[in-house]
Amino acid sequence: MKLDMEKFGKFAVRFEPGQMIFAEHEPGNSFFFVQSGRVQIVKILDDIEKNIDILQPGEIFGEMAILEEEPRSASAVALDKCVLLEFTRENFEIIMAGYPQMALKLLKTFTKRIYDQKRCFLTLTLDDEPAKVADVFLMLAENLMRDSAEGVVGYPRVEFKASIEDIAHWAGMSVNKCREILNHLASQRKIEIYADKIVVTNINDMSRYVKSKRNQQK
Amino acid sequence: MPRAVNYKANSIVYFEGDKNENIYILQGGAVMLRSYDLENGQEIQDYIKTGEFFGVKSALGRFPKEETAQVVKDSTILVMSVPEFEALALKNSRIIIKMLKVFSNQLRRIHKQVRNLLSSNRQPVDSESGLYKIGEYYLKNRKYEKAKYVFDRYIEYYPDGMFSRKASEYSYEASECMKGKAPKSEIMQSKDVADYDSMEQDVSELTKKYFQGVSLFNQEKFEQALKVFREVNSEGVESEYGVKSISDIGKCYFALKKWDECIKQYTFMIQKFPKHPDLVEALLYVGNCYKEKGVVDKAAGFYKKILIMAKKDSQIYRKADKALKSLQERQNEA
Repeated sequence: MKLDMEKFGKFAVRFEPGQMIFAEHEPGNSFFFVQSGRVQIVKILDDIEKNIDILQPGEIFGEMAILEEEPRSASAVALDKCVLLEFTRENFEIIMAGYPQMALKLLKTFTKRIYDQKRCFLTLTLDDEPAKVADVFLMLAENLMRDSAEGVVGYPRVEFKASIEDIAHWAGMSVNKCREILNHLASQRKIEIYADKIVVTNINDMSRYVKSKRNQQK
Repeated sequence: MPRAVNYKANSIVYFEGDKNENIYILQGGAVMLRSYDLENGQEIQDYIKTGEFFGVKSALGRFPKEETAQVVKDSTILVMSVPEFEALALKNSRIIIKMLKVFSNQLRRIHKQVRNLLSSNRQPVDSESGLYKIGEYYLKNRKYEKAKYVFDRYIEYYPDGMFSRKASEYSYEASECMKGKAPKSEIMQSKDVADYDSMEQDVSELTKKYFQGVSLFNQEKFEQALKVFREVNSEGVESEYGVKSISDIGKCYFALKKWDECIKQYTFMIQKFPKHPDLVEALLYVGNCYKEKGVVDKAAGFYKKILIMAKKDSQIYRKADKALKSLQERQNEA
C-alpha cells in the first residue's frame, strides 16, 4: 500500500540510509507509515545491536506512542533512502477520519499486536522455566504457519531463524538462564542449536510437553 | 455480497479456536460472546447489541477465533468476508474509528499485563541512563552519526541530567569523527573497539599504538607522533588503522611545516585510496600546503575541488570556501 502523496505530502519526512529515526528509550509521541524504503528495528541487548525486524513499505511502526506516553521500546533506523509519513497523537483522530485507508491499516496492525501480546502473556504465565522456552518455540511456529500458505517444510521438524537472545527476550528471562535451558534441551535432543538457527526436532512433542505443564499448573 | 443468516436460539455462530475469516453484524436478536480471562481464567460473557460487529479481530489478524459466539434468542446476523468488511469500512470511516478505540484500549490493557509479568522477572531500565548508554554503544562502535543523534536527543530531553556534560562532549566528539578526525576519548580506545572489529590479537596492539600516535599529536609532539604513525602504517599495511595512519602522517608533516612531504604523502593517499574517509580533508591539506608555498593556482584548484565534493553545510566546505576567497582577495590586492 502506498498512500497518495498529494494528500499526505505534508506529513512526509525523509531519511538517508543509516540515519536514526528514533532511539530506544526516547519519549515517543508520533508513529510512522513507511511510504518507500525499508526501516530496520534494532535493540541493543548485552552490548550487541540486534535486528528485531525489517519493515517494508506499507507497514506502520511506533504506534504504541499514540496509546501511551511511553518511551520507545526499540530503535528505528533507515535501511534505504526512506520516505515516511509521521503522525502525532494530536493529529491522529483527524487523520483517521480523513483517511480511512490509513485507519484500516492501523486497525490491522492493532489486531496483530493484541494477538502477539496475548500469546506472550500466555507464555509468561507458565511457572516452569523450561516450559516457557518451549512455549516460545510453539509461538514462533504458529507465526511461521500463519505466514506461509504452503505449510512448513519438514514438519514436525521446524527450523527457527532465532538466536538465544531472541528466545530469552520472548520468554522474559536472562540470556544466561535461557542458554542453560536451551543447552539442556539440546542434550535431550529436543532441539539442535546452530550459529544462525535453532531447530526443534519435533514440534508436536514440544506442544504436548507445554500442554502437560499447563495442565499441572491448573 | 454480505448475506443475512437466521440463527435459532442456543445455536453457535462459531466456537473458540475456529479458523474462519468471517466478520459478523448482529441485525436483530441477541448474541453472547463467551471467553476466558487471561489472568484468572474466569469466564467472561459479553452481549452484542443490535448493529454491533463481532469476530472482527481474529478475521483481520487471520488467527483463530478467541471466543465462542452463542445465539441467545432467534437472531438475524449479517455475515461478510474481510474484503467486504474493508469495502464497507472504507466508505464509513466512523466504523474504523470506533473499532480503533476499542482495540487500542484492549492493546493498552494487555500491554500493561505483559509488562507487569515481565517486571517481576526483570530489572526495569530507567529511560535516561538507557538512552545515554545507547549513545555510548554507538560511539564505542564508531557509528558516529547514530551516536551523535542519541547524545543530542539526550541533551534535548535531559538538559540537566546526570550525563548531560558527558553527552555534550561525546556529541561533539562524534561530529568531529564524522568529519574524519581521529577519535580521542577513552571510551573509544577501550578494548571493546578491538573486540567489535573482531580482528586478531596483534591488530589490537596496533590499535593501541595508533591511539598512542593520536595522543602524541594532540600533545603537539609531532615528531614523535610521526614516528609512531609510520610504524603503525608499516606494521598494519592492510588493516584499518594502517590505512588510517596514512592520513595522520600527512597531518604530522603539515604540523611540522614540511609542505613538500605533506603534499607527497597526501597525493599518494589520494591515488592509492580514493575512498579513504579522510579524502576531502587530504585535499584541504594539499591546498593549504600549496598556499603556504605560494603556488596560488594549484592551491585554488584543490579548494575548488573540495567545494564540488563536500556537502555545502559541512565545516570542510566552509574552510575551503574561506581559504579560496582569501586567496582571491590576496590576488586582487596584488
